[in-house]
Amino acid sequence: MNPAEIDTPVLIIGGGVAGLSAAVELSRRGLASTVVEREAAPGGRAGEFCCKAVAACARCGACRLGDLLAEAAARPEITLHTAALVTSAEQKDGLWTVELSPQPAGDDAPGPGAPLGERCSLTTGAVILAVGGQVFDPAGKSRFAHGRVEGVHSALELEAMLAMGAIGPGAMAPAKVAFIQCVGSRDAAGGRPWCSRVCCGYALRMARVIRHRLPETEVTFFHMDVQDYGRAWEEELPSLKEDIRFVRAMPGEVTAGEQGPRVVFAGPEGAPVSEGFDLVILSVGIGPPNGAGSLHELFGAAPDQDGFLAEEGPDGLFVAGAAAGPRSLNESITHAGLAASRAAARVGALLEAARG
Amino acid sequence: MPARVSLIWQEAPGLSGLDPAQVALAAGVELDDGGLVEAAVVTVAQERAPRGLQERLAGLPVSWLDLAAEIGGGGDAHRLARAATAVARAAGRAAKGTLPPVYAPQPAQSVLVAGAGLGALAAAWEAAALGHPVTLATPFGDAATPGADDDPQAVGLMAAQLPAQVELATECELIGLAGSAGGFSARLMGPQGESSQGFGAVFLAPPGELAPGCEIHGLNPELCVLASKLDPEDWQGPEDAWLHAAVLAGSAQAAPSYSFAAALEAALALAKRPRVQVSLFYTEARVAVPGAERLFRDCRAAGVLPMRVEPGGLEVRGGHTLAWFDPLLGEEITLEPAVAVMAEQSGAPRPAWLDNELTVKPWDLLVPENPRLAGGKTSRSGLYILGSLRGTAPGAPRRAEAAAATADMHARLTGRVVPMPAVRDQLCARCLSCVRACPHGVPQFVGFGIACSPAGCVACGICAAECPAEAIAPPGWGQPEMLAALEAALAVAPEPKMVLFACGQSGMPAASALSASGHQWPAGLVIFPLVCAGRTSQVLVTRALELGAKGVLTAGCHPGNCRSISGNLVAAAKLEMVQGMLAELGLDPEAVSFLPLASNQTRELAQAVEALAVKAEEA
Ligand SMILES: Cc1cc2nc3c(=O)[nH]c(=O)nc-3n(C[C@H](O)[C@H](O)[C@H](O)COP(=O)(O)OP(=O)(O)OC[C@H]3O[C@@H](n4cnc5c(N)ncnc54)[C@H](O)[C@@H]3O)c2cc1C
Ligand code: SF4
Ligand code: SF4
Ligand code: SF4
Ligand code: SF4
Repeated sequence: MNPAEIDTPVLIIGGGVAGLSAAVELSRRGLASTVVEREAAPGGRAGEFCCKAVAACARCGACRLGDLLAEAAARPEITLHTAALVTSAEQKDGLWTVELSPQPAGDDAPGPGAPLGERCSLTTGAVILAVGGQVFDPAGKSRFAHGRVEGVHSALELEAMLAMGAIGPGAMAPAKVAFIQCVGSRDAAGGRPWCSRVCCGYALRMARVIRHRLPETEVTFFHMDVQDYGRAWEEELPSLKEDIRFVRAMPGEVTAGEQGPRVVFAGPEGAPVSEGFDLVILSVGIGPPNGAGSLHELFGAAPDQDGFLAEEGPDGLFVAGAAAGPRSLNESITHAGLAASRAAARVGALLEAARG
Repeated sequence: MPARVSLIWQEAPGLSGLDPAQVALAAGVELDDGGLVEAAVVTVAQERAPRGLQERLAGLPVSWLDLAAEIGGGGDAHRLARAATAVARAAGRAAKGTLPPVYAPQPAQSVLVAGAGLGALAAAWEAAALGHPVTLATPFGDAATPGADDDPQAVGLMAAQLPAQVELATECELIGLAGSAGGFSARLMGPQGESSQGFGAVFLAPPGELAPGCEIHGLNPELCVLASKLDPEDWQGPEDAWLHAAVLAGSAQAAPSYSFAAALEAALALAKRPRVQVSLFYTEARVAVPGAERLFRDCRAAGVLPMRVEPGGLEVRGGHTLAWFDPLLGEEITLEPAVAVMAEQSGAPRPAWLDNELTVKPWDLLVPENPRLAGGKTSRSGLYILGSLRGTAPGAPRRAEAAAATADMHARLTGRVVPMPAVRDQLCARCLSCVRACPHGVPQFVGFGIACSPAGCVACGICAAECPAEAIAPPGWGQPEMLAALEAALAVAPEPKMVLFACGQSGMPAASALSASGHQWPAGLVIFPLVCAGRTSQVLVTRALELGAKGVLTAGCHPGNCRSISGNLVAAAKLEMVQGMLAELGLDPEAVSFLPLASNQTRELAQAVEALAVKAEEA
């Protein structure tokens, strides 16, 4: 291998928190990298999330995206192509050669990076796949009536509604809100037998934001189990249980009532109960990056039994963030740091071998 | 004598349509003509300036100004006025002649990893890979000894891969620590006795210990086995009867996910033994680790009876009987297990010296649950606390944590920015306010004066805000520069004048995003970027009011999200004092306020500034 063939030491695919974090960590190690983002602007999911602070920061991690974007913009070692897609990938003599092509993307979005101008081909020592997971499409659970009954929204939609101030005094003020957990997760029959890790946390945080903005609003949390989110979270749980109605039952369906959606669930005696709400939120989970014909096939990354990508693929391929399994923002950021460290070691070894 | 300030115009997105000559004229500075420069304002952030320009300005007082972040949308005249205000502010500061921080790559420094197990080895490996000489002080006789909660095989592998730069100190413990990044002094106790050594950074990763993951009091200890100590082969039912095994993964409180998953593995292994009936007790099924939900299903399929109990609902009677209430059957059930397998939680005792030596920082301030301190960081710059002592789950999360911590260490020690606070010894009253106030432990009382270690400082300016003698400040953030900047900006800003002090982690990124999206700010708004909201002071805010500002808003992070831990709280407290003072004088206390904000809360910031403008119009 000839080091002069390398166009960019590391190529990172996906400009969400994981991809940006990998780029920043590499640049801290003095290594240049190129980030390829499909959309018009980097940021990934976190760009759609609201701040969930009430009296204090709820440690949701959403604002860390801002830090990463600023740092990525400030570091000259990072090249960021937006509106770009990988069309082919090939490995030879330990190097990857990857073809990129511009993709029609909407308006020019503010933020670091510039749209890819024309087709190009880049040779690199290591590839980090940071394409994120796929958020479950609630249409896949038609019994929860998303898109069919007004007032039923996915949690992703709720994030945006809260960020835009669409819920609160002077805006929409629902009297009763229900969260249905584990939509598209912990569902063996649906072929999704994993816990998505983040949805208990984000749902309870958003529930608290709603209660804070609208103290009169009643919030019900339909769930199986509450997952753990660190020391402070565990300490807050008892007070959350006083503020929010916890119902341990997975609703069977959501129906259209006269006043709005109705949630049907097994009551304390086991008999079905139908209760009306103004707003029903489906806490959608995270699944593997989209299936057939997608990137990991291009790179030959091995999916695990659930379809998430193994952290280390064939020579010089690394996977970071939610693409490797459901992860929170903070976890994705840290996880990408490890991928960056491994990629740096790989590039270092390549260069050393080339020097003889 | 104040220096003559030149405006060096660099085009950037968001600056188009502005005429540099007009901006310079309106701001009262000279437009650079390529000639001699005494002091300068440059219209882009330093990182984005061309290298040639950086070289030309080396050694000069320069205000690097992200001008586009402060302008936003509006008509030409409006944008010109906003640009002039921002340039005037930056020029006011540059005219004071303070040199900007030194920008020079620093050599790698030696670091100490004190501890054992996966996290400690990973930190040593990563730090060495980044070129730092590493001392690995382990309490054990070799590097390959795992902590009780580690996978011994993974630890053995990592120990075998340790590079030569890692110097191993066996049977050696850290017993004391002082200093901060770039200047730690560590006391080590080894076989040869006590020694003291200097390090650039310290990673504390004591080996993990295992304890039951849920409290179940009163059970006969002879019945109890920790999940990791269980050998399923030991158990099987007699020829003609079932042997009852209880797996305890929650009672008073739920076991954490990693611990619940290990309990599931134990339950599954036991259930596969001949004639063993396993009951799994839990309050919450904590399945948020890879594979756990699947394992939970496999357990049920293998005949494990899941018994969900209410918190505290599992009672122990006579040391050997478990009793609980079954809501479906509506009656109490009891079980006398032959063995009780306990889910276990890892942890490590807090070294006593940690509380003694870093007295200004009790544990919750040293390791707060703050998203900005994720990845092993602590509030003491250059000190990283990893693994079981921090409560990080065993296995993969520890490797990732070690990688994040070492990357942060590397950036801190070798990064280009060294904003070491300057202490003017002849002014210093030795009041130690800075030592108490600095959230990162940078100023230290050494000899008979204040010494700061170069790499530790993040330039939050909290020390400068607290120092009664104007003796300490990170470069450019001293009282004289801040006041000069404020005066210059308010002299140029149109009426009604207002000031937004914007924290670099929250208020300023939000303002910058609003500007980039074309948001139109009130013409008279002076945006004053700070590194941390904690740099505000009563003097600064009251001076803004004296100079004609009708309102002063300080936008800082939400409590618990401040990079400098308490800068936001300090700011809010100071502003409250100013409000009290205004009320006493019969003035409107609401003219001054603190806005808790996250960088993604642009809408909230726009609304708060709008409200400020409405009030200012009325005033
Ligand atoms: C409703 C909801 C709420 C959540 N709330 C929280 C929360 O409050 N706190 C929290 O910590 N976590 C939360 N999460 C989890 C969070 O979304 C993930 O942790 C995080 O987004 C993972 O980051 P990532 O960078 O791995 O992936 P992403 O954020 O998904 O980023 C992947 C990026 O890759 C790009 N990309 C994809 N394919 C390609 C391709 N072929 N070529 C080029 N680019 C590509 C995408 O456009 C995207 O920019 C939530 C998740 C959901 C679904
Ligand atoms: S971590 Fe989340 S809750 Fe905390 S300030 Fe940031 S966005 Fe808000
Ligand atoms: S995190 Fe909570 S809501 Fe999400 S899949 Fe797991 S248990 Fe269900
Ligand atoms: S500027 Fe902040 S970090 Fe630096 S010494 Fe002062 S208080 Fe400490
Ligand atoms: S606060 Fe100022 S006067 Fe007091 S010790 Fe520190 S530098 Fe000296």
